[in-house]
Amino acid sequence: MKGRSSEISLLLTALRSRGVDSGGFSNRPGGEFRVDATGWGAVALAAAGTGEDLLGTARARLASEQQKDGRVSVSPDHPEAFWPTALAILAWHGSRAHREAQSRAVKFLLSMTGRHFVKDPEAPVEHDTSIRGWPWIANTHSMVGPTALSLIALRIAGHGENELSREATRMLMDRQLPTGGWNYGNTFVYGHELYPQPENTGLALDALAGSVLRQDVSRSLGYLESRLTRLRAPLSLGWGLLGLGAWEIRPRKASLWLSESFELQKKYGPYDTTLLSLLLMAVLATGGLASVVEKQEIR
Amino acid sequence: MTRQKKTRMKVDCSRREFLLGALGAGIAASGSSLLLGSCTRKDWRADSFIVKVSNYKADIASVLLEGFRELGVEAGEIKGKRILLKPNLIEPHVGAGHINTHPNVVRGAVEAFLRFGASEVLVGEGPGHSRDSVLVLEESGLGDVLVEDRIPFADLNYEQGYAVENLGRRTQLASLTLPATLKRADWVVSVAKLKTHHWTGVTLSMKNLFGLMPGIYYGWPKNVLHWEGIDRCIFDINATVKPHFAIVDGIVGMEGDGPIMGEPRHAGMIVMGRNLAAVDATCARAMGIDPSKVVHLAAASGRLGTIRESDIRQRGENIASVRTDFALMEKIHAQRGLRLE
Repeated sequence: MKGRSSEISLLLTALRSRGVDSGGFSNRPGGEFRVDATGWGAVALAAAGTGEDLLGTARARLASEQQKDGRVSVSPDHPEAFWPTALAILAWHGSRAHREAQSRAVKFLLSMTGRHFVKDPEAPVEHDTSIRGWPWIANTHSMVGPTALSLIALRIAGHGENELSREATRMLMDRQLPTGGWNYGNTFVYGHELYPQPENTGLALDALAGSVLRQDVSRSLGYLESRLTRLRAPLSLGWGLLGLGAWEIRPRKASLWLSESFELQKKYGPYDTTLLSLLLMAVLATGGLASVVEKQEIR
Repeated sequence: MTRQKKTRMKVDCSRREFLLGALGAGIAASGSSLLLGSCTRKDWRADSFIVKVSNYKADIASVLLEGFRELGVEAGEIKGKRILLKPNLIEPHVGAGHINTHPNVVRGAVEAFLRFGASEVLVGEGPGHSRDSVLVLEESGLGDVLVEDRIPFADLNYEQGYAVENLGRRTQLASLTLPATLKRADWVVSVAKLKTHHWTGVTLSMKNLFGLMPGIYYGWPKNVLHWEGIDRCIFDINATVKPHFAIVDGIVGMEGDGPIMGEPRHAGMIVMGRNLAAVDATCARAMGIDPSKVVHLAAASGRLGTIRESDIRQRGENIASVRTDFALMEKIHAQRGLRLE
């Protein structure tokens, strides 16, 4: 890929090719409709300000998947896997036709949390297990990924000051590794500080921008800036750049890295729709995810 | 040779045993005594093969083919079959190659199955800690091997799932959602790493199958399975998937605070066999660990296979010749008291 417009064009072409006749997107070429792929595809198209038809049918298809209580799950037979609800909130943002659906999804998230408990003093884990966030799957402990994504979605939908959102912000800060970064959600186990992961660090930094002081995440920013120089995997690079962008950091070689990441498909084959969408977001949203989603006009 | 030299003998199920089994299935908290409650015990015989391999530059395919011969695996069993290799790629970390199954062991397994006539060998994994499979492939070194050898890879975390009845029922899960790739596989081969583990004592070929379960349905790190009880889930997944073969990379393993933060330990061996419980019991003994004290291995014994030394015919090296006592940590509950006398 050469040049920003060329990058965008290539990613959009790849993304459009994943559209399915019944509305929404498949995750793989020639595959069937997937909720998560559709959520990300819609967010990316909206951010790019293009693909009105595909965007409209994708949003409508997501709405048809929404359950009575407002959740949007991975599939109807797995209502417990409700983590795409946050994604749907983002996908519906800016759509007058889906305000009600978005509102019900917000209500669902604000009524839902993970399994939390007061930790036994002898427990081998060190994070505060009582601070609430959101889990990947119902009736499990809250984790960094779904908490960060839910927080981003709620903030964009205007619910960043809700009590649960504020608690989730504290939860993310509690899960930050002392030497910098976040992983899936554990800090220490049996006295060992665990390794950070770039994708979760980027997600958490994007979610926390504007809510916590820079000095309180400076080690994580440093970790991510250093880590991104050595990776081109799309999920980690995409979230890494979005996370740094939310803190007004754009590595000088970001565009080159994104091109190299796109080119990795020659090695590994076509990326999932989720990854193509994330790369597109990382090209467009130089100020973090909210910088493009929040600006979408109500239509 | 038959698939496994074993005799199956059902033991009468008493009312007391049945009640214990039902109680065990209904309580989520982990505990070895509850896990043992079951009414279908069988007598098993199994073979496991140990071979010394000093480093990853060895001709691992030839070593594995020798193992096939010793274990009575015949080309006719493999010819034309689709083989799914499931390595342990829980998360990558630069400079900590002992976390994951070494790429050359995966490469050797692919080559061995192809040389035995497999129509297709593919590698599938749903990394437990990492959602970024491309990063896992890039930083574990496996990506280059797969590309060089044109081996397909399936990211099981994001695959569409299909539900099957949970045949183990040690957890409260009535069904398990498995990745679509599993439907295409004739043989499921656990290509595990020899490691100690802070929640389960050891992680070997049985525990490795956690990575079959798609993250989109189970979360990261397979949160549903953790809440249902890791030991119970190991039983359920193995009872339901019924894996065909195990290869354990014990050339360099991990001791202490595994599966991530432990130290590398050179053990210089590969262990393989058809019965995963027997293979893991052999691995445990080779690590200086008593398999009967490892909850999930004790639970599997007599139900999914055997862990009794007298029921396992050792092929290749004997255990004493390769025994390398892996460090256990007293502060880690699951590792306490595991040392083999």
